[in-house]
Amino acid sequence: MADMAVQSDVMEAAGPYDRAKALSAFKLGDLTFYWITRISAISVLLILGGIILSLIVGAWPAMKEYGFAFLWTQRWAPSADPPVLGALGPIYGTLITSVIAMLIAIPVGIGIAVFLTELCPQMLRRPIGIAIELLAGIPSIIYGMWGFFVLGPFLANTFQPFMIRIFEGVPVLGAVFAGPPSYLSLFNAALILAIMVLPFITAISVDVFKTVPPVLKEAAYGMGCTTWEVVRSVVIPYTRVGVIGGIMLALGRALGETMAVTFIIGNSFRISSSIFAPGTTISAAIASEFAESDGLHQSGLILLGLLLFVLTFFVLAGARLMLMRLETKAGK
Amino acid sequence: MTELSVSTTAAGHVPQVPLPEAQPKVTVRNLNFYYGEHHALKNINLTLGTNRVTAFIGPSGCGKSTLLRIFNRMYDLYPGQRAVGQLMLDQTNILDPKLDLNLLRARVGMVFQKPTPFPMTIYENIAFGIRLYEKISKSEMDDRVEKALRGGALWNEVKDKLNASGLSLSGGQQQRLCIARTVAVRPEVILFDEPCSALDPISTAKVEELIQELSEDYTIAIVTHNMQQAARVSDKTAFMYLGELIEFDDTNKIFTSPSDRRTQDYITGRFG
Repeated sequence: MADMAVQSDVMEAAGPYDRAKALSAFKLGDLTFYWITRISAISVLLILGGIILSLIVGAWPAMKEYGFAFLWTQRWAPSADPPVLGALGPIYGTLITSVIAMLIAIPVGIGIAVFLTELCPQMLRRPIGIAIELLAGIPSIIYGMWGFFVLGPFLANTFQPFMIRIFEGVPVLGAVFAGPPSYLSLFNAALILAIMVLPFITAISVDVFKTVPPVLKEAAYGMGCTTWEVVRSVVIPYTRVGVIGGIMLALGRALGETMAVTFIIGNSFRISSSIFAPGTTISAAIASEFAESDGLHQSGLILLGLLLFVLTFFVLAGARLMLMRLETKAGK
Repeated sequence: MTELSVSTTAAGHVPQVPLPEAQPKVTVRNLNFYYGEHHALKNINLTLGTNRVTAFIGPSGCGKSTLLRIFNRMYDLYPGQRAVGQLMLDQTNILDPKLDLNLLRARVGMVFQKPTPFPMTIYENIAFGIRLYEKISKSEMDDRVEKALRGGALWNEVKDKLNASGLSLSGGQQQRLCIARTVAVRPEVILFDEPCSALDPISTAKVEELIQELSEDYTIAIVTHNMQQAARVSDKTAFMYLGELIEFDDTNKIFTSPSDRRTQDYITGRFG
C-alpha cells in the first residue's frame, strides 16, 4: 500500500504541470552555463601560466650560462665558440623606439581626438574617423614595406641630414642626432611605430571624450574658458583613466610590434648614441634569427622573449601605479 | 488646492511695496531665436534690472532656458542655432558676432540644472576660474577661494577638506560649489537654469537664500519650474508660453492679479 501511495504521488507530480522537473532542467542548464564560463575563465590562467612556464624552460640553458650578465652585456655573437650573448642592445632598442613612438603618437593622437570631438565641422568628422580606423586595419607587413621603400629613403635624404646639420656641435643633442643618415634606423622604426599606434590612442580618446557630459563642458565654457582650457582642465581630467588605458594599449603594441620594425630597424646589436643609427628590438632580434638558431643561441632568443614579457608586465604595472597616484592627487 | 497656497505664499513673502524701478542691466528687444528651422523664441522684449532677481516661468519647452542661453551666447557651441534681434548688456551688444565670448562669459556667469563640479579638488574648482582672468599669488588666491566659498555659503562645510575632490560633495553642496565658482570670477549677471531641480528641499532652501543674498551684488535671472520658488526669490517674473513672452511684471502682481488669462491658468495649475 505504501508503495502504491508513493507511486500515485509520483504520478500526480509527473503530470503536465510538473514544476519541479521543469526547474531541475533549468538547474542543469544553469550549472552547465556556470561551468562553461568558469572553465573559459580558468583556461586563460592556464594558458598564461603555460606560456610563462615554457618560456622559462626554453630559456633555462641560457639563464644558467649567462646569468644576470645577460642583461648588461652588449656583445651578441651567436657564432662564436662558445656563443657570447647579451641582451642590452635589443632592450635598449625596444625601450628607445617605444619611447620615441609614444612621444610622437600621444600628442598627435590626442590632438586628433580633440579636433574630432570638439572642433571638427560635422562634414569632416566621418571621413577623418574612417581614415583613422583604416589606419588601424593596415597589416604591419605593409607598414614595414612602406617604411623600407618610401619612408626610410625619404627620411635619410631630407629630415635626417637637416637634423644632423642643426644639432652639429651641440652637446648631448649633437650625439643624439649624429650622422650618417641611414635608411635603416631606430628613428625610422619609432616613426613607423608611432603611425601604427596612433589609431589606438585616437579611437579610444574619441570614445572617452564623447562620454564627457555636455553640461560639464558648457559649465566650463560658461566661465569663459577657451576650447584649449576646456580640453585641458575638464575633458582630459574627466577622461584620464580611459585615455591612459588607450596609451597603455598603444605602448603594449609598440613594445611587441615585430614585422614592421624588423624591416626597417637594421638589426644591429650595437648601441649607438644616435637615434639615426641602426639598432634592433627584442622582437625584431627574435624574428630575424629564430629560424636559423639552435642550442644555446635559441635558448638565448627565448630568454629575450621572456624579458619582453617581463618588460611589458612592468610597463603595465607602472601604468596602474601612475593611475592610482593621479587619483589620489585629484582627491578621490 | 496647492495652487491656492502658492499664491498666498507668494503674497506673504514678496514685499507689498513695489520696488523702485531698477537701472536696466540687460535689455532684450525683438529677440527671435531659431533651432535650425524651428522658431523657438518670438519677439521677446524685456529688461533685467540691475541687482534684481528676474524669474522665468512657463511650461516645459516654452523657451525659458533657450532665452537664458542667449544671454551668455551658450548656443554658439552648437551649429544651426541662431538669434536675431537686439540684446544689450549695458552698452555691449551681446549678439555682436565679433564679441569676445570669453569676456562675455566672464561678465555673465551661469549655474546649471545639474551640479557640474569640475574633475578636480574643491580648491581648484574655485581657483580654476579665477586663474583664467587674473595672475595672483598663492596667499591672495587662498583669500579669494575662501571668499568665494563663503559667498557660496559652503565655507564652513568644506574648509577642512579643500583638497578633496569636488565630486565627493553631496548634490546640494556641489551646486553651492558651482555657485561659488561662478561668483569667484566676479560676474555682473548670474544666470540660474533650474538650479534646484536636482536638490532636496533643505538644499533648495539654502540655494534660494543664497540667491537672495547674491542679488545685493549681482543681476540675477532664474529659470524655474517651481512657482513657489519664483514667488519666493524673485522681484520680477516673466511668464513664457510657446516661445512668446506672455506677461512680464512685478512678481507679486503676477502671482496675485495676472493680467493675462493664460498666466492665471498656468499659476493656478490649469495647465503646464
